[in-house]
Formats: sequence, C-alpha cells, structure tokens
Amino acid sequence: MSQFALLGNPNTGKTSLFNHLTGSYAYVGNWSGVTIEKKVGKLRHQTDLLVDLPGIYSLNPLSKDEEVVTEFLLTDEFEKILNIVDASQLKRNLQLTIQLIEFGKPLIVGLNMVDVAQSRGIQINEKKLSDILGVRVVPIIARTGKGCDLLTKELTSDTRKKSPGTPTFKVDYGFLEEIIEQMSELFPDDVNLNKRWMAVQYLEGNKRVISYVSQHMPNTALLEQIKQEVEEELVKRGYAHSLRQFIYHMRDKNITHLLEQTTIVTSSTKTTTTDMIDRVVTNKFLGLPIFLFFMYVVFMLTFDWLGTPLSDVLDGFMSGPLTTWTENGLHVIGASKFIKDLVLNGIIAGVGGVLVFVPQIFIMFFLISFLEDSGYMARVAMVMDRIMESIGLNGKAFIPMIIGFGCNVPGIMAARTIEQPKERLLTILLTPLMSCSARLPVYALFVGAFFVNHRALVVLSLYVLGIVVAMVMARIFSFLFLKKEKSVFVIELPPYRVPQALTLWRSTWEKGKGFIRKAGTFIFAGSVLIWLLTYAGPHGWNVEMDDSFLAFIGGVLAPIFEPLGFGTWQAAASLLTGFLAKEVVVSTMNIIYHAPDTASLTGVLSTQYSALSALSFMSFILLYIPCLATVATIRKETASKKWTYVSVIYSLVIAYIISLVIYQIGGLFF
Amino acid sequence: MNLTDLQQGKTAVVSDVTKLNDIVKQRLIDMGLVEGQEICLKCAMPFGGPVMVEVCGQCLSLRRKEASRIGVS
Repeated sequence: MSQFALLGNPNTGKTSLFNHLTGSYAYVGNWSGVTIEKKVGKLRHQTDLLVDLPGIYSLNPLSKDEEVVTEFLLTDEFEKILNIVDASQLKRNLQLTIQLIEFGKPLIVGLNMVDVAQSRGIQINEKKLSDILGVRVVPIIARTGKGCDLLTKELTSDTRKKSPGTPTFKVDYGFLEEIIEQMSELFPDDVNLNKRWMAVQYLEGNKRVISYVSQHMPNTALLEQIKQEVEEELVKRGYAHSLRQFIYHMRDKNITHLLEQTTIVTSSTKTTTTDMIDRVVTNKFLGLPIFLFFMYVVFMLTFDWLGTPLSDVLDGFMSGPLTTWTENGLHVIGASKFIKDLVLNGIIAGVGGVLVFVPQIFIMFFLISFLEDSGYMARVAMVMDRIMESIGLNGKAFIPMIIGFGCNVPGIMAARTIEQPKERLLTILLTPLMSCSARLPVYALFVGAFFVNHRALVVLSLYVLGIVVAMVMARIFSFLFLKKEKSVFVIELPPYRVPQALTLWRSTWEKGKGFIRKAGTFIFAGSVLIWLLTYAGPHGWNVEMDDSFLAFIGGVLAPIFEPLGFGTWQAAASLLTGFLAKEVVVSTMNIIYHAPDTASLTGVLSTQYSALSALSFMSFILLYIPCLATVATIRKETASKKWTYVSVIYSLVIAYIISLVIYQIGGLFF
Repeated sequence: MNLTDLQQGKTAVVSDVTKLNDIVKQRLIDMGLVEGQEICLKCAMPFGGPVMVEVCGQCLSLRRKEASRIGVS
C-alpha cells in the first residue's frame, strides 16, 4: 500500500479529481481554499491512498491552510506527487510544478481542463511538455472524470518498477546556482530531503523550511549570512528587488520558454460567459442588492416555497402512521408501559421532532453548496469587503460566516484561509453568531406557533440579527485587541461553472449527514435522558411532570430568565439541554409538553409564550452559546483555552442583553 | 500612474509592485501579477471598496488602497 499526495493551485478542480479517483465523498467547492483539512481517500479498485491537500500557489506558505501542505511535504511519508494543473492557466500553475519537480519525488502531472483551454484557443502538446519536464503528463477533465482511469494506472504502476519517473527538468537560477551548491553542502546529511530544493526554498524565504533547517542544524548563522549577502548583491546589480522576486522571475523565464515550445495560442480575447455574469453581479450598484436577493431566495425556498410543505408531510407521517405502527408493534410484543412511554413519548417525540426538519436543512445545505460550487462565493467576498473592512475584517471572513449558516463547525475551520492571525481569530469568534441549521428547527417551531403569516420574514430577521451582532462585536473586539494588525484582502475570482449534479449532491449529503447522524446518536441519547429526567422525580418513578427532576433543575434556573419573558422551568431545562446541540431544544419541548406532533406542540406553546416572549426566546437561542461541537472546534482551531472561554462567555452575555432589550422594550409597545 | 488611475475596461502594463504590503505582494505575485504583465481594470466597488482586475486571463480582487500602490504604464 502506498500513499500519494494530490497537489495543485486553488480552483484547478483538485477536489473534483479527488472524488473521481477515490470515490470518496470529500467536500468540493469553488472558492479559494475550500479544502481546509488534509483528507485521505482510497483509490478506486486499489488499496493505495490519496491525500487531498489544500490548494496552494507556491510551497511558501502565507496562511494556515497552506502551512499544512509544506508541513506534509517535510514530515509525511508518501510515494508520489500527483500535481493537478489547469491547462488554461499553465503559466501560473507551472510555478508550483517547478517547485515540486525540485522537491525530487516522483511526479505525475494531471493536465486538467484541456477542454476549457481548447475553447480559449490554447493548444497544448502534452507529449512535448512531458518530454521537456521529464514527467508523465496525463490530460484529464476532472469534472467529467475523463482520463482518470489512465491517471490511476500511472499512479499505481510505476512504483514497483526501477525508474519511478523522477523528473529531469531543471531551472537554471543563473548566478544563484553557485550559492545553491554552496548551501547544499552546508546542510546536514541526516536530512532526508532534496538539498537543492531546500536551498532554493531557503533563499526564497520559506519560513517553514527555514525553521526545519534550524531544527536539524546547530548553527544557521552562516546560511543566513549567505542569504543576506546574495540578496544585497542582487539588488546592487539591479537584477531584482528581492531574492524571492528573482527566483520567481527565473522560473517564469523558463516557463515562458517552455510554453513557446509546447503551446499554440490562436485566439485569446473574447467575452466569456463569466465576464457577462460578472458585469451584472459585481456591478457597482447592483452587487449588494443582488447578493441580498440571492439570500432572500435561499430563505424563501428553505422556509416557504419548498421546505415547510415537505416538513409538514414528514411530520404527518411521523405522528400518524409511524406512531400507530410503533404503538401496535409494541402492543404485539407485549412491551411494558415503561417501554411504551419511553419509545413513544421519549424517542419518537424527541428524535422524530428533530428529523422532521431534515428537508429544510437539506435544502439549505444544497443551496449553500450551489453558491460555493458556482464560483459566486468569491464574488460575495469582494462585494462584502468594504463593509467588512469597516469592522476590521476583510471580505474573505464573510465566507466562513456563510458556511456557518449551514453549520458553525466547518465555518470555523474555513477561517484557516485568512492570512492574518488576528483576523482569523476574530472570524472564529464571530462565526458562531451565524445562525446554523440546527437552530432552524427551533425557529420553525416558534414561527409556526406565533408568526404563521410572516415565517420567512421573522426567520430572516433572526439571521440578520446574528449578522448585526457579529458586526458590532467585530468592531468592539478589533477596537479592544486587534488594533495593530493590518487587514489585507486579495482573492482570486474563479470562472463561473455550472455545478455538477453529482458534486452538488455529494457535498449536500456530506454536510447534511452529520445532522442525521446526530439525530441517531446525540439526540437519541439526549431524548432518552431527558425523558428519564421527566419520568423520575425526587419522590419516585412515573411522577407528574411538574414533580420531575427536570422540573426541579429547570426551576432553579428559571428565575434568571424571568426578565427575558420565559421564566418557566420548561424553557430553562430546554436551554440547558440545548448546549448539546441546539435542535435538542425542540426534542426537549416535545417530551416535556407530551406533544405527539409539531402541530400539537405549537398549540401548547401558544399558551406558554406570547409572540414577544417567543421572539425573545428565539433570539436567545440564536446567540446564547455555541453548541458543544462548535466549542470543541473553537478550542482546536484557536489552540487557546482563553479564547474558548471568551467565546462562550461573551455570547451568553450578549444573548441575555439582546433578549432583555427585546422583551422589555418590546413590552412597552405591545 | 497607478492602477486606480486606469479607466474601467482599459488595459496597461504593470511597472512597479515594490510599494505593496508584503503579504499582498506575495499573493499577487503567486497569482501572476508581476512587473511587465498586462493588467485590465474590470470594475470597482462603491464607497472605496475593492477593485477587480484581470491578469493572465484570470480575475482577482484587491483593495483600492493596495491597487493605488501598483504602478502601471
């Protein structure tokens, strides 16, 4: 069994290729850096493994996700590199290929999007390219899977033979060559890496490589001195402004020469579809309204036009046939009253009450995937940048937040693409304020009870509330401790692509399955526990609900929520359990109020809450605390206990204040 | 003159990227925005927002402040 590494520039169809080669369900997107973790998949019909790494422009890392790649090359074990290259952007893509060739491991180039290149009038002679580079070049179309079989064959065959296709192409760095050789001799022999590659990376200023070298060498002062002297010499002779620029330039010269021999460009200037779409969606005045319109459509589809009717059908099935069948089944096998109660009032009410919202959540995930895959997300970052800049962030921070609408966990992980550490931290702290799909069942329940005629509007305003609070907090946080760092913003705008059905379905399923799995594990266990806590009390089993343990626990906390308009033990108990996962709030309420279906639960709720206290409660749910999984992710991503506590505590405080304001001020008017 | 002086839809050649912030410069170099390269200003967002440019057949977006540090001729 061997391990291969898949590397390439962002937006070259890397993750699509990964999906075709491995048949695994990795998450696919179309904005810079959508692959945020190292993902490993098994090659189809093979035992070998393929590692999908984040998209990079060069091996010199600028952001957290790029660091992953350099780290991988330096420390992980693998046989071969599969370098995916965008045929329509060869000049830029080959910069990375050259660095990978210098790395010295066997390399195979997957020349992707040959169809796109052709339509732009670019003809590539792969055979010649392959000969000059000294590596196998396989033309592919990753979106359709064309050429993938050949690629797999190439990947797996050579490893057992003697010559594994180690590349021969060499860039001549001119007067640096002497220096490179001199440095190579200084590197210790116990390092298992190509020394020429190390020297070039060192000169380029690759921080990770420099720190790697200093770990393996007692004294790097001489290396530093050589580097400095040669840089001064460069500037003096007027070759370049820096070593980095010089190295880039030398590579570029080689690439240009290479392309002259291997490509024929016939026509290059014509208006593409991307140009036409961009004229509208990134229009000076229309850009922002169009984005808001898209978001409005997303919400209407999720809540009004499509999601709610589907959820109603599912609810009817759960509370009708399913409950009857289970009841009959339990009766036939002669289950005790305890078991019957547990299954019907605990599990079906709790788990079923959450599963009802699966259609809405899948629609939401589907639409977010669609926006991601189409290439529109990067435009959103651009359109939003001016607003984000005013709160001390950049437009890229908006993408984790939109992903956070689906689920906060991947949203927080997506913040890795932000270059500046403090901006990234700030984005991590704010993403939980984005209303994730798990909060949606709670809203759906309450708007169904109190705001039937304005469902989408009320829910949309909650999402907006989350965004507004995030913006205000961003301002406060950046004023308090992020003053010094400069915010930067550069983003690539990939061409628009019509998302493929298969890719869309996979990424929707990938995101949505977590929700279903949660229903089977967390929520199942939570429901049983909650039901037991309502079933048992200080005075024995099968007690009245108001005498149960849950009522007792909730009762202790209830007075705190009195000023917010929901000072009942039921509300307090469901908020407490909601920390596990926010949709558990709905499970808890189903169990507490003994509601067989959503319709009867909304009936009970309308006697327990007023429209105003419902609004206050929903706002509290939106803001009060990130769920358990999110808190764990924050802890992992920030690697700091302090910031984890900060994120939990500030959100509790904010939630209390906002709900208090809503209930108390709202009370003056209604 | 600098990139922001360029009229929308017009093309020029990049002549100077040395005044840029380091991270931005590195990113732009990675994306192919280097001296001697043709650059086209596609559009600009309102209220001093970012600009969209096309370099080597691909679009990028960067802040106006940074764009004003890129010399073109």
